[in-house]
Amino acid sequence: MIMATGQSLPGQRRWQRVLGTLMIWLTAAMVTLSVLTAGAFLGLLLWFAGSWLTAEGMASGGVLVRFWGNLQQLLFQPSASLGIEAMLPAIIGTVIMIILMTVIVAPLGVLVAVYLSEYAKNTWYTELLRIAIQNLAGVPSVIFGVFGLGFFVYAVGGEIDGWFYAETLPRPTFGTPGLLWASLTLALLTLPVVIVASEEGLARLPTSMREGSYALGATRFETIIRVLLPAAGSSVLTGVILAIARAAGEVAPLMLVGVVKYAPTLPVSLQAPFIAFEQKFMHLGFFIYDVAAHANVGEGRLGLICAAAVLLVGLVMLLNLTAVLLRKRLRDRYQALSEE
Amino acid sequence: MSEKLSYKQHISAQFNAELDAIKNDLLEMGGKVENQIELATEALLQTDSEPAEAAILIDRSINRLEVEIDEQCARILARRQPAASDLRLIIAIAKVTTDLERIGDEASKVARVAIKLAPVQSPQPTELRFRRIANHVNRMLRQSLDAFARQSVEQAVKVVLSDADIDDDYHSAMTELQQAMRTHPDHIEYLMEQVWALRSLERIGDHASSIAEQVVYLARGVDIRHADNEGLRNLIN
Amino acid sequence: MPYMQRDALIQASQFQSTAARTPPGLVVQQLSLSYPGNGSALVDINLDIPAGAVTAVIGPSGCGKSTLLRCFNRMNDTIEGCRYSGAIYVGDNNVLAAATDVTALRRRVGMVFQRPNPFAKSIYDNVAYGPRIGGIRRKRDLDEIVERALRDVALWDEVSDRLHTGALRLSLGQQQRLVLARTIAIEPEVLLLDEPASSLDPISTLKIEELIYELKHTYTIIIVTHNMQQAARVSDWTAFMNGGKLVEFDETDRIFTNPVERATEDYITGRYG
Repeated sequence: MIMATGQSLPGQRRWQRVLGTLMIWLTAAMVTLSVLTAGAFLGLLLWFAGSWLTAEGMASGGVLVRFWGNLQQLLFQPSASLGIEAMLPAIIGTVIMIILMTVIVAPLGVLVAVYLSEYAKNTWYTELLRIAIQNLAGVPSVIFGVFGLGFFVYAVGGEIDGWFYAETLPRPTFGTPGLLWASLTLALLTLPVVIVASEEGLARLPTSMREGSYALGATRFETIIRVLLPAAGSSVLTGVILAIARAAGEVAPLMLVGVVKYAPTLPVSLQAPFIAFEQKFMHLGFFIYDVAAHANVGEGRLGLICAAAVLLVGLVMLLNLTAVLLRKRLRDRYQALSEE
Repeated sequence: MSEKLSYKQHISAQFNAELDAIKNDLLEMGGKVENQIELATEALLQTDSEPAEAAILIDRSINRLEVEIDEQCARILARRQPAASDLRLIIAIAKVTTDLERIGDEASKVARVAIKLAPVQSPQPTELRFRRIANHVNRMLRQSLDAFARQSVEQAVKVVLSDADIDDDYHSAMTELQQAMRTHPDHIEYLMEQVWALRSLERIGDHASSIAEQVVYLARGVDIRHADNEGLRNLIN
Repeated sequence: MPYMQRDALIQASQFQSTAARTPPGLVVQQLSLSYPGNGSALVDINLDIPAGAVTAVIGPSGCGKSTLLRCFNRMNDTIEGCRYSGAIYVGDNNVLAAATDVTALRRRVGMVFQRPNPFAKSIYDNVAYGPRIGGIRRKRDLDEIVERALRDVALWDEVSDRLHTGALRLSLGQQQRLVLARTIAIEPEVLLLDEPASSLDPISTLKIEELIYELKHTYTIIIVTHNMQQAARVSDWTAFMNGGKLVEFDETDRIFTNPVERATEDYITGRYG
């Protein structure tokens, strides 16, 4: 309007406008750059992985045949010549550990979030608790590994062995790194994400929704279980998705609490109790590290690493996709509140 | 509660203006009706047709005002949904307007009688009583309108109570007219006109009284239309 | 005079033998309430709310009308540091007594709020929520309750083909009727309506008002509203509050044609207080 009347903007306002425009362009450029970089990186990964898998090595024939052959070899058979183990046990180990972690972290995180959001009064204590939780997210992951080893493996695991597996001592059962401790350690690592997301989800629900439930004679517990948590479900799932993404990428702490280069048996079986909580297991992230550090593959090493990396990335994406679809279904059914 | 509702201003200045406008219109109409009665009774008593013509002319503007005020009432009811004293004001104004219009009609009748009687020299045995009745109803109307403007319950009740005071004059005048008819059967046509005029004046008194009753409803929210004298006196004490 | 009429009304409803049930009246005695750091919100309220009728509570913003309403089902208990004294009798029970089972009370005294607040559940589950926490499990019983409640609020015909879709997809007006159905489903005796139509369009508002009129035969209804015309339209009795005090309580007809108190007159005619 000022422009239309032919007057120039006051100096300060003109400067602010120029600055604003500049910021928008800068942001756009940076976003584009990062997307391109990520794309290029993924492309390179695929390229290296592909060329290694289709290279004439263990199998021979056409490109597709070589690809299948090499992939099968990689997945199912350990290779003495390459100095690597089969990849499938590592994939299964990773998936089982993440599922187990999710099962632990989701209820635990929701429980803490419910306490903070619905029960706790605003005192210095809860304030301290919130700060502690947020700081927990900033602790280097290897520290969690150290904690897991010290607390879960030695303290808790040692105690359990003393009570339930005394006859096999001194050979430890739970008093040694294993699947359960690894899952618990990662659960602890990702707990802040789930808590913060869930608490925000609960806090966003209007007071009127709680009052509506109370007014029908519901107790606070009934209100939380039947009204608030279903309504905050998509926020909780968002937290869980973030937790899975974070957990799938962790290797360092796992090396301390349960992951090994080679495990003779899978941590799952078709016979009860189906999951061997105390067993050590293989992990895709560790596999990549192992290949990078120790394998005897000469020129093809980079391609092998890339193939494993592509698999890991694909796995994380798959897990995320499942959770995202679940959240979408939940939202579709009851239309998100935020759209109001 | 104070005797008179001292009107505080509405939050809506527009509403204030509308109420002021309608009240002013009503009082203007009242003034015209008063003027009309004076002219009509003057014409009758002076056997002069000129003021009678003027009185009949005024009736037209009174009718126009009636329609206008009714429209304003309907508009305020529809758009403002008045409550309490505002609601009573609108209801009272609508009813008072009707009474005023009827008074105007009666005054016109009196004026027409005056025009008929002006050229003839009929006996006027009741002039004194006629004058007194005319003055009385005129005063009643002025006082009831005054009471309305000031929302004075006391004055209004006095008007209602004074309605009975003209009864004596009214009956005496009727008797005198009947006697005149007997003694002057040849003038019976003109004497009948005088009966009509007398009747109209009496009706004007009734309407003035009815206006005063609306004042009490407006100020107190009490309907006194069918109250007895005892109840009326209690109102002002 | 008004008091005699009121007593007669209460008595009349008490001796109604033909009615399926008789909702109780409410008696408020010397009710005072304060919020922390906010002084007194209610000051010495005494009020007899007649049974089986609609009582409107009107007054300027912050006069305590909603606070009063929230005393009747102890909704103020959810506010920290809220203190009150006095007594409120619903039938023979003192609501404010420490021994009162608040969840049971709230099933007797239902409440509908200003903004429609359906749960993020299906239409069916919204209505069935109250009965379910009340212990009704059989699907046949629930189906019956849901249908009757939705019919009572004239929503059945609009939603019977999509009972299991999300309640939040309904229009605001439908949502508010759903909330009313949800409240009716637990068969309360008293209905508290806190500005139930203030966020609705005029047509939805009329529908809600029509419902209030229909429901008043089976419930004692108390409605808080800042819409005076609405109070005039739907209520039998009107209480005018100002500054946490009850200024005037009388039949609606009288309040809106000839109130006794000057403050009432000024408020309902829209004059400077």
